[in-house]
Amino acid sequence: MQNLPPLGIHLQGVAKAFGRQVALRAVDLDVTPGSYVALMGANGAGKSTMLKVVAGLVTPTRGTVTVGGVDMRRAGPRLRAMVGYVSHETMLYADLSGRENLSFHAKLHGLGRGTDAIDRAADRFGIGSYLDTPVRSLSRGMRQRVALARALLHDPRVVLLDEPFTGLDEAAAIGLTETLEELATPERVLMVTLHDVARAMSGPRRLLALAGGRIVIDRPLREADDDVAASYLDLLRTEVAR
Amino acid sequence: MSWIAPSLTIAGKDLRLELRTRDVIASVGLFVLLVVVMASFSFPTTGEGRDAVAAGVLWMAFMFAALLGMGRSMAIEKEDACMDGLLTSPAPRESIFLGKLTANLAFTGVVELVILPVFVVLLRLAPAGGVPLLLLATALGTLGLVTVGTLFSAIAVNTRGREAILPLLVMPVSIPVMIAAVKVTQAAFAGGTGEGTVAWVLLMVAYDALFLLVAIATFPYLTEG
Amino acid sequence: MRTETLPALDEGLADVRPTARAPYRKLLGTATIVLFAVLIPLALVWAPQDAKQGDPQRIFYIHVPAAWIGFLAFFVVFVGSIGVLRTGKRRWDDIAASSAEIGTIFTTAVLITGPLWGRPVWGVYWTWDPRLTSYLLLWLIYLSYLVLRGYVPEPARRARYSAVLGIVGFLDVPIVYLSTRWWRSEHPTQFVFERGGLPTEMLITLLVGIATFTVFYAYLMTVRVRAGRLQEAVDEEVFS
Repeated sequence: MQNLPPLGIHLQGVAKAFGRQVALRAVDLDVTPGSYVALMGANGAGKSTMLKVVAGLVTPTRGTVTVGGVDMRRAGPRLRAMVGYVSHETMLYADLSGRENLSFHAKLHGLGRGTDAIDRAADRFGIGSYLDTPVRSLSRGMRQRVALARALLHDPRVVLLDEPFTGLDEAAAIGLTETLEELATPERVLMVTLHDVARAMSGPRRLLALAGGRIVIDRPLREADDDVAASYLDLLRTEVAR
Repeated sequence: MSWIAPSLTIAGKDLRLELRTRDVIASVGLFVLLVVVMASFSFPTTGEGRDAVAAGVLWMAFMFAALLGMGRSMAIEKEDACMDGLLTSPAPRESIFLGKLTANLAFTGVVELVILPVFVVLLRLAPAGGVPLLLLATALGTLGLVTVGTLFSAIAVNTRGREAILPLLVMPVSIPVMIAAVKVTQAAFAGGTGEGTVAWVLLMVAYDALFLLVAIATFPYLTEG
Repeated sequence: MRTETLPALDEGLADVRPTARAPYRKLLGTATIVLFAVLIPLALVWAPQDAKQGDPQRIFYIHVPAAWIGFLAFFVVFVGSIGVLRTGKRRWDDIAASSAEIGTIFTTAVLITGPLWGRPVWGVYWTWDPRLTSYLLLWLIYLSYLVLRGYVPEPARRARYSAVLGIVGFLDVPIVYLSTRWWRSEHPTQFVFERGGLPTEMLITLLVGIATFTVFYAYLMTVRVRAGRLQEAVDEEVFS
């Protein structure tokens, strides 16, 4: 890994509306390097939009987003090279194999064919046995693993994962939890969307919960913090009642 | 220049995909071939203006080929949000455009190179010395058409009608380069340069250069979310 | 559910710098009426009858100014489009879209008055004359701009997409004109309109016509853009 300054994420007054649909309202957020954040909230609360805004895929209607001090609107190749993003969709070309997809990604990141990185990813995510079949013929869980492998292939410092556990079986989920633990070092920043409170407890060190496009819970997490779980579940109940 | 490598990588990926699925070339190629065959039934075998009609029909076929191919090419990036994958990669937006442009040129070019000899034979044309000019017209005209088309396909694919709106966007704007291409092709079919052919060629060059620059400059704005 | 009331629409405009304060709009509206009141008798009565074409030639006093506005409006679409891309501010999109709508109306008028003029004078409704052909293409590009806008529901995207089309379309227009001119110059059946040596009265009437239509265009723009601004203020409420 190059010797670069640690990257933090900063949102100031960020709002995003898609026409009349408001996804984010006046969000202020500071995520320091070394953070491992669990992002939670009901569907439609704005979690995906928040990650997309940080990833530079969506420009805020108001406010600014900076990563490593650089406004994402002006993010250049070097900054984008440090971001790894997983979304609801796989971002994989279905008619190519997993290996071809990873190889393409590696080339875009200047890693040549990336054979070493691909092998390591194959080990880490257990995808070696089906790396050469077209993604189209893989199951949901397999695709998800390949998608994760792709996002982390270039060893990003800013890891943005939108519902990465969806579709994973228990074994894979445990593997991912461990991988994320490994990745959560002082030079990196992790923001992971979760639905499962238990998973939020095992790993992440900060909990953000969104509702109606705003941050409503923002607190540090310690092992077995029943208090946090309770307040989050309360929040969900209120959301459901609306 | 840091644009070239990513563009080639992206074009290469499209090529690999196409070889794997033979999506574009098969369906587009077959469609255009059918158009050409059907057109040749209603074609005058002799008479004045034959070359002009032939050139017109040929370029209509080429335009179909280009439109179908470009629509499909962008639609592939829309599936599974692959475009987001490109946008979060270090590849500059301009390279994404150039990569897609290169791939589209390659696919359209292949279809055209198959159609051309078929066309010449079916319609019993005798370009003779005009073949280099024919190829030049094809190259320049296709470049203009595909430049504008690739740019607009990035718009079309994100609208309610999907790729269906692409012809509506491309056709009016590409009229000048189409007229020029038809004129030069017509001269080529007649066996050599006609009057003013040089002027038409220059028009195509100017059109291609202008809109290539405009497309590179405006494409990044189409990828914002 | 919140039960806040929306502020009065005019309050919402406090921080939106209005380009069309009520006095300008009214002034332009009045000027339009006055100019038309002057133009109509000038065109119909005062300007001398054309020796060759007779009375139908008088359509020229509407046809040419409308054509001029068609181009002007498209230039404004171009400027607005660049504004949208460079600043991302909605007000530029309002300007571009308004001008496109208004421009389409004038361009349609050109395409209608053209044949109306052509039929009695030259015996045909249409000819592939370079000017008419480029005008037809201009009209088609305008239409594709409007159709595109109808296909993109989200305002920010709609603004960007139409801006790109606006820029490409505008740059295309001169090239269209050049190419149709070369194309048709190979065929001698071009209708030449003897522009050189217009009698003074005709020239004056024409200039009055151009002035009238320009003021009319400006008036329509102020009305349409203000409507856009009001809409914007209402839409901004979505964040509160």
